[in-house]
Amino acid sequence: MNLTHLHRNTVKLILGIILIISTFSCRKEVPQINQPERYTQTNFADIFQSYWTGMNNSYIFWDIDHTNWDDVYKKYKPIFAKLNANDSTDIRKAYTYFKEMTSNLVDSHYTLKFNNDYLQDSAWIQPARSRHEKQPGYHGGFGKNFFKYTLMKKYLDTGAMFGDVTTYDRNYVYAVAGKIKANNILYLHFNTFYLKEVYGYTGNFSLAIRRTLQYYLDQVRNPAGLRGIIIDVRSNGGGQLADLDFLIGPLTDKSYVIGATRGKSGTGRLDYGPWIDAKVNATGANAFTAPVIILADVNSISMSEMTTMAIKALPSGNGKFVGEQTWGGTGPLSRNEFFNSGQFSTGFFRSVYTSSLMMRDKDGKIYENIGLSPDIEVKYDAAAIALGNDPQLERAINLIP
Amino acid sequence: MKQKHLLLCLVLIGTAFTSRAQFSVGLETGINKNTLYTNTGFDAFTQYKSSNGFNIGVPVRYDFNSYIAIQADPQYIQKNYKLARTDFYDGVYTNYRNSYVQLPVMAHLSIGDKKLKGFLNLGAYAGYWASSHIKGTQPDIFGKSNDDLDQYTNLLQLKPGVKFDQKYDFDSRRDRRIELGALIGIGIEYELNSRYQIFAETRYYHGLTDLQKNYMIEQVPRYNQTFTGQVGCMYRFGK
Repeated sequence: MNLTHLHRNTVKLILGIILIISTFSCRKEVPQINQPERYTQTNFADIFQSYWTGMNNSYIFWDIDHTNWDDVYKKYKPIFAKLNANDSTDIRKAYTYFKEMTSNLVDSHYTLKFNNDYLQDSAWIQPARSRHEKQPGYHGGFGKNFFKYTLMKKYLDTGAMFGDVTTYDRNYVYAVAGKIKANNILYLHFNTFYLKEVYGYTGNFSLAIRRTLQYYLDQVRNPAGLRGIIIDVRSNGGGQLADLDFLIGPLTDKSYVIGATRGKSGTGRLDYGPWIDAKVNATGANAFTAPVIILADVNSISMSEMTTMAIKALPSGNGKFVGEQTWGGTGPLSRNEFFNSGQFSTGFFRSVYTSSLMMRDKDGKIYENIGLSPDIEVKYDAAAIALGNDPQLERAINLIP
Repeated sequence: MKQKHLLLCLVLIGTAFTSRAQFSVGLETGINKNTLYTNTGFDAFTQYKSSNGFNIGVPVRYDFNSYIAIQADPQYIQKNYKLARTDFYDGVYTNYRNSYVQLPVMAHLSIGDKKLKGFLNLGAYAGYWASSHIKGTQPDIFGKSNDDLDQYTNLLQLKPGVKFDQKYDFDSRRDRRIELGALIGIGIEYELNSRYQIFAETRYYHGLTDLQKNYMIEQVPRYNQTFTGQVGCMYRFGK
């Protein structure tokens, strides 16, 4: 090898080394992701960006949602940039844009609650409710009076109980418990899942509902002669998860899996943590083996649906679901920090109310925006109800031998 | 299967080169520390931490002369990291054990006397993210609450922790399994005799491809950066 050749090789080598070293800086820039609450709300560019970013990072259903969130960004970012945050007409326009862009989100808990004075008279934006209300055959919820007077009088024995209470955080909770007339079948209805909490209250103001719940607990703990149980969650909008063990735990002597949940592991839309088993924790001395029927309807949401899953998954195989397809809001809610996912707020939104976790049933099926299908379908019958009859309850009673 | 094919190719190349005096093949192994270069955005009390792993490879080298060679190290290498919560959330974590099959190709530049040399490796690598395993603890929202406590100092008191240990299922919409990057290494090598040589090296792999496909606006990229310390020996073929 002569000297010129050696020099040429050395130059090539140095160039190669420079090329390789220069590649060390070839990385994409890491964007700064700001907390939605931290954006100023003095202009609609920021209002939109804070909301879009919060959804981009905290919304749990991107895996199954068909809304293209990038397209939302491309379409609405320039539109919002032209709006004036101090103009009431523009604020109303913004309301309609938010309604449009969220209309197909699958999260059936999803609710946008506004903070703006100009929107105080506006209904919350609830995409799932809008979709349900457009469905043929959709009906409103049963009222308390139907259960307290009509159902109790016609279907329950004289020993049946009713109790209600307003909780410390201003939730109205009531429960009805008793035996079906001329049948040793236990019946329980309640409007919301706050039962364990109100059961733990002391003081006369909660006495009636505690007695009502005590009646249910005494019966399921000593079920000798009980032919079956009917748990009625029709028109029940959900509530606290602790009630699952409170209500269903006494029916089983071994904990069992009803499905699984998963949260987020990072800021990416598809950054999911592992599926973690969702269980009913047993509190019973023995398994309850007689039929357990859950009555649910289109207005049965969230914990009502999880309870339906729990009854259908009872280890003794004695659970059945009667009624209508449920709402389809099965994702549990918690604080955003617990799972780095779910609800958040911005200056413009008092709350972007959205599920913290994605849930599937024990067979791996996700019912979000779909709802659980009944084993035995009995449609809501407005005419029968107006006459004081309850065909769904009657069908449930007839299923118990 | 892909690893077997790669090894077979190397053996064939090795066989073809045995008639040349400057061809060497060897075995190397070492431990490494991988860091995920990224950002956790506004996720509360959440951080990525470096984790240790190991690597094993079959270096093949062709010496042009006593100070310049080209080397390729087909290898298995772990690029692990940990996602951990802190403060009130302490105890919630996920360990990621990532297995890569990787082919670094580098210029091997030596300096020193005939027996003991120092060297610099400079090159690039291509890797395939073959598998991943996750293990850790997550809060169980369905877990039995501890009613005895009147205050909570840790999330896992409020929501009992549940352990998990499972294979990670890749998501083809997100996970980019081909990784490209640059490398730099320095080390020393000692010639035991005309056939055998031993070496020790520290090497840095600088990932240049995001571990995720470009699937969303405001995506936070993730890059591996891996320091290894390894030892090995080489066998020289030919005269």
